[in-house]
Amino acid sequence: MKFTDRLKNELFDPGRDVTAGEMLHFKLFELFIVVYVILYSWSWGLYTQRFNEEVVLPLGLANYIDISLFFEHYLAIIIAAVISVMVLAAFFRIGNRWFYLIVLMLFHLQYVIRYSQGEIPHSQNLVGLGVLILAVGSVFYPAGKFFPRFVFGGVIFFIGLGYTSAFFSKLIGTGFHWFYGEHLWLWISEKSIDILSRDGLYEVNFLQQIALDHVWAASVILLIGWFTELIGFTLWFKKWRPYTTTLLIGMHFGITLTMNIRFDAFVMQLIIVGYPWYKLIRLDSEKVSGWLLKFTLFKKPSYSGSESA
Amino acid sequence: MKYENDAFRGLKLIGWLFLLSTVLVASHKGEFWPFSIYPMFSQAGNTWNRALLIEVSPDDTTNIWSEKSIESIDQHVVPVKELGVDQIDYSNFISKTETWTPGRLSALKKLFPENVLQGRMVMAAKASGKLTDGDSVSVAITPMFLIDSDTVRVNPNIPIHNTD
Repeated sequence: MKFTDRLKNELFDPGRDVTAGEMLHFKLFELFIVVYVILYSWSWGLYTQRFNEEVVLPLGLANYIDISLFFEHYLAIIIAAVISVMVLAAFFRIGNRWFYLIVLMLFHLQYVIRYSQGEIPHSQNLVGLGVLILAVGSVFYPAGKFFPRFVFGGVIFFIGLGYTSAFFSKLIGTGFHWFYGEHLWLWISEKSIDILSRDGLYEVNFLQQIALDHVWAASVILLIGWFTELIGFTLWFKKWRPYTTTLLIGMHFGITLTMNIRFDAFVMQLIIVGYPWYKLIRLDSEKVSGWLLKFTLFKKPSYSGSESA
Repeated sequence: MKYENDAFRGLKLIGWLFLLSTVLVASHKGEFWPFSIYPMFSQAGNTWNRALLIEVSPDDTTNIWSEKSIESIDQHVVPVKELGVDQIDYSNFISKTETWTPGRLSALKKLFPENVLQGRMVMAAKASGKLTDGDSVSVAITPMFLIDSDTVRVNPNIPIHNTD
């Protein structure tokens, strides 16, 4: 079997019917994305309105337009309001199937407006990717029951790609000695300054103390994390997905303990898409199934072509 | 199979998105949100620079601009979170700005306006860490800007460029 055929089958599982349980799983995932889109849009907008004055680091579209225009006249707040209305309309399937695409563009704009101050955070990337795949899926599968399957497959593809890419970034950026324990010492001290700056106090926890006392322990911690990133692409494969997801979640807990970096939304999204929750959700009611279908598709269901309803 | 054609089309769409993401991150230094090559922590072993905000007594400004140790100031650190400021932003603003201009100083003052400082005098300082002798990390604190309710005083060693 060709690799592309294998990848298609692993990501989209075309032989399996889309059940009501899967649609409910999908709507819960979509709800998670919608809630975080609204939360981020408002927190970025409010922060911009209060603090942003100069563009320190232009990201994305900010390389092409002067985003300092959005620092005033409540424009960042207005963008947050427009995103909120459109993403809620898209969630409830009111209005046009292009709404998620418009939300994606405004969400990107809001991100580059807010993070023009020098910080490049990644904890919101998976929510952004979720919106991207929803946008593409809603345009290309407005009436097909395959829409949820495309969204889950697409999100899983880019999550796996991202982790493996992070492994190679480290390999290229530093070399094979990236995992040397002294490097973790430097990061622990750097993050200790960040926490001290943020909270006014800082205490080393047990795992950090072990890493600081024993360079070999620090090396082992880095090596485990680095290896877990390398195998991130195994998320693409159904059999491996739950195990890789569990390892990745463990790695994030490890990062939180050693470097005080929290990835709450990242981990929640991993939990939602990394496990086959639909297998646990059994819904036999046709009424519920019809209701879920109504709120999953952007158009009336298509019964023609390759798909059966 | 049930969704064979849809799945094939889905794979093509993912392929196009992958191509798009590759072009965007390759042409934008690895970042075009939400696409990224996730380069965080990719360069290990380098010296790091962060920032702290330190409370200063207006009566004790002798040797105010001299380099300090972390132990000498850690009891006087002002938690920026309590002032409503994003600590990562503040840190990047202080440590990544290469050319200081009146505009940058004005932006710094906007982070800590009078109603937030409430009469306090604070020092924006850069914290730098590096590996020493390969077996420990040393941290040095360099005072940069002294901020009170009205003014921002600049470390004499930092040049201010008058063109924004």
